[in-house]
Amino acid sequence: MNTALGRLVRTELTLMTREPLTLTFVFIFPVVTMLIIGGAFGTKPDVAFDWVNPSHWYVASYLTVVIAATGLIMVPVHLASYRERGVLRRFAAAGFPRWSFAVAQLVTGLVAVAAASAVLLAVAAPTYGLPSMHHAAGVVVGFVLGALAFVSIGVLLGTVLPSARSAQAVGLVLFFPSFLLGAGGPPPYAMGSALRTVAGYLPLTRVTDAVRDAWLGVGTATGSLLVVGALAVAATALAVRRSAL
Amino acid sequence: MTDTAVVVVRGLRKSYGSRAVVDGVDLDVHAGEIVGLVGANGAGKTTTVECVQGLRRPDAGTLRVLSLDPVAQPERVRALVGSQLQSSALPDRLRVGEAVRLFGGRDGNELLEQFGLAERRRSAFASLSGGERQRLFLVLALVNAPRLVILDELTQGLDPAARRNVWAAVDQLRADGTAVLLVTHELDEAERLCDRVVAMRAGRVLDCGAPRDLVGRHGGAVRICFTLPGDMMSRLGPGQLKALPGVEDVSYETSALTMKGSRAAIAHLGAALASAGWVPPDLSVQMPSLEDALVDLLERAGPAPGLHTAEPALPELTGALR
Repeated sequence: MNTALGRLVRTELTLMTREPLTLTFVFIFPVVTMLIIGGAFGTKPDVAFDWVNPSHWYVASYLTVVIAATGLIMVPVHLASYRERGVLRRFAAAGFPRWSFAVAQLVTGLVAVAAASAVLLAVAAPTYGLPSMHHAAGVVVGFVLGALAFVSIGVLLGTVLPSARSAQAVGLVLFFPSFLLGAGGPPPYAMGSALRTVAGYLPLTRVTDAVRDAWLGVGTATGSLLVVGALAVAATALAVRRSAL
Repeated sequence: MTDTAVVVVRGLRKSYGSRAVVDGVDLDVHAGEIVGLVGANGAGKTTTVECVQGLRRPDAGTLRVLSLDPVAQPERVRALVGSQLQSSALPDRLRVGEAVRLFGGRDGNELLEQFGLAERRRSAFASLSGGERQRLFLVLALVNAPRLVILDELTQGLDPAARRNVWAAVDQLRADGTAVLLVTHELDEAERLCDRVVAMRAGRVLDCGAPRDLVGRHGGAVRICFTLPGDMMSRLGPGQLKALPGVEDVSYETSALTMKGSRAAIAHLGAALASAGWVPPDLSVQMPSLEDALVDLLERAGPAPGLHTAEPALPELTGALR
């Protein structure tokens, strides 16, 4: 791991653990909101939750809150601050391979998603119990593609937004509607038709549908999975291109 | 090109929009040589070295760095060149020791010792003073033992002791056979360190040569002052002194005499004084420095002939990220 790429990945992972914004939004926020919302609707299966225990419905939804927090807040703020301060210029001048920074960002983002998801499940298991997984492969594919898509969207945002402050502002504006309508807020059943239409267009809703439906066995979500897959391919290709040193 | 040539640049041009920032620059740097690129802000110095490093794509001209083409093989060139860039930083929470391992793949303890950073190994970049940051950048530029080192505004923000320390390190690089390209607008630094100086204005090379040659060409007169008692006036008055070879101007005021002239005038004056039997106890000779020689040339208002004024280069970069 003493290649330039290995050193860059290791350094980025170390720095991630020292970033308060990451720890707050990616590791703490999803857990706290899951505990609040997941506990608010009780455990009795309900029509609003496709006749599933509401706590379990939220446990299966909240993995994508982690994905959104990583892709819409952590990655763009990190990258925009690097650009703003000339860190990338320094990496480029030091002869780091052209694609190494893009790879390091994708790896760091995916590791953050995996670690924060593990924390989330570790808190959910003793509190609400983990719902049994109906289509494990569907969950894994939806989760991985969704994470890849959102981390790549984060890299793209970071290459477009001029400063860490603007990335934070734009990130929060994108994150909260996605979070409330597409993953961790009220169930679609409780939304008005206008909100439900808006939610249907949010990429995060598609990721959540793909993961939750496969997990709880309430649908196949093939359409959502295809959309997420296409998004992942397009966003990753663009992100790698844009973040070449 | 000789076999010691580390950098060879011919006819380099780079424009941003309609602004020519570098306009036909030639540059050579050999192994074991320190070459200074001097000029005011916006002269095109930084853009020139960024092209040498493969960080920018030139519009025209040929470049060779260690026999490689930085346009065709930027990654290979960058990996062989150590550089300390102007206006760039490290992540705030990255520690000194981690930065050295990241950039060099080793702990670089001897360099950290040399630049007085060994005690700061565990300190975050954000907690370093301006001088400490500058010294860390120098360590990062040297950690891979590069054959070409590019130093942009090397001693900005350093106190005098740290500055001398850094100068000594650069001297050592020359002794080790490393080629150094030094970008600076501090002419005293260029005069102290450089074997050759390339003076740039508005994207063009105005003149280049050893500092003393540039001083000779552009430095103006040597100034000699001494006391001349009134009783010497008959043998050695301003009239006789002005007739000495190389003397341009003589002024005399209440026994204080000031002469201006070429370097040759110093010897002729000495001979004249000795033969007249007067050895002034307070004779002082003021030689023009590189700063005296170049400051007017470099900072003269208005563009160089046939050029648009080049404003300070913005960090426009080739890739989307930089």
